[in-house]
Amino acid sequence: MTVQQILIDALLGLAVLVAVGSAVGLVAARDDLDRLHYLAPASVVSPVLVALAVVAREAFDGRAIKALLVAAFFLVLNPILSQATARAARVREHGDWRLSQEERR
Amino acid sequence: MTGWLVAAAALLVVILAVGIVASTGPVMRRVIALEIGGVLVTLALVLLAEGFDRDVYFDLAVVLAAMTFATSLVFVRFLERWL
Repeated sequence: MTVQQILIDALLGLAVLVAVGSAVGLVAARDDLDRLHYLAPASVVSPVLVALAVVAREAFDGRAIKALLVAAFFLVLNPILSQATARAARVREHGDWRLSQEERR
Repeated sequence: MTGWLVAAAALLVVILAVGIVASTGPVMRRVIALEIGGVLVTLALVLLAEGFDRDVYFDLAVVLAAMTFATSLVFVRFLERWL
């Protein structure tokens, strides 16, 4: 087993572990806003680890670039999606995303 | 079976668990599970593409990454305004 193979397996194992952690958090969290926090590891850490594993195997060829593109998509778009989801959760709960008079005090 | 396929199989099990959450319970919990599920399916496609040595599956993963975001955003907007 080469150092490259060990590195790839370690990166993949870590990516799967992070995904499992996110799934467990999804089930265990108390409310929707807590639950939303577990979207970040699955959509930021795991894709980057998988992309790094592909780069470690293929160097910078077409596949590696596509894997990095997938990771970049999630890296950039996940905060937007998290914010939109949190906003929707708040609007559904309180009717408006802004602080109410009581919450301001 | 390579490490890529083992990782993909493990992710598919996680996707199954997330899918169960996405099909039961309150609507916001389902949406969040759907968002996590979309990411995991995309990652599973990347792993399967590398495991089966197929270039074309990578294209599918790239398209799915973009589409997952767009569909989730539309869904969330509908939940906020109308549903």
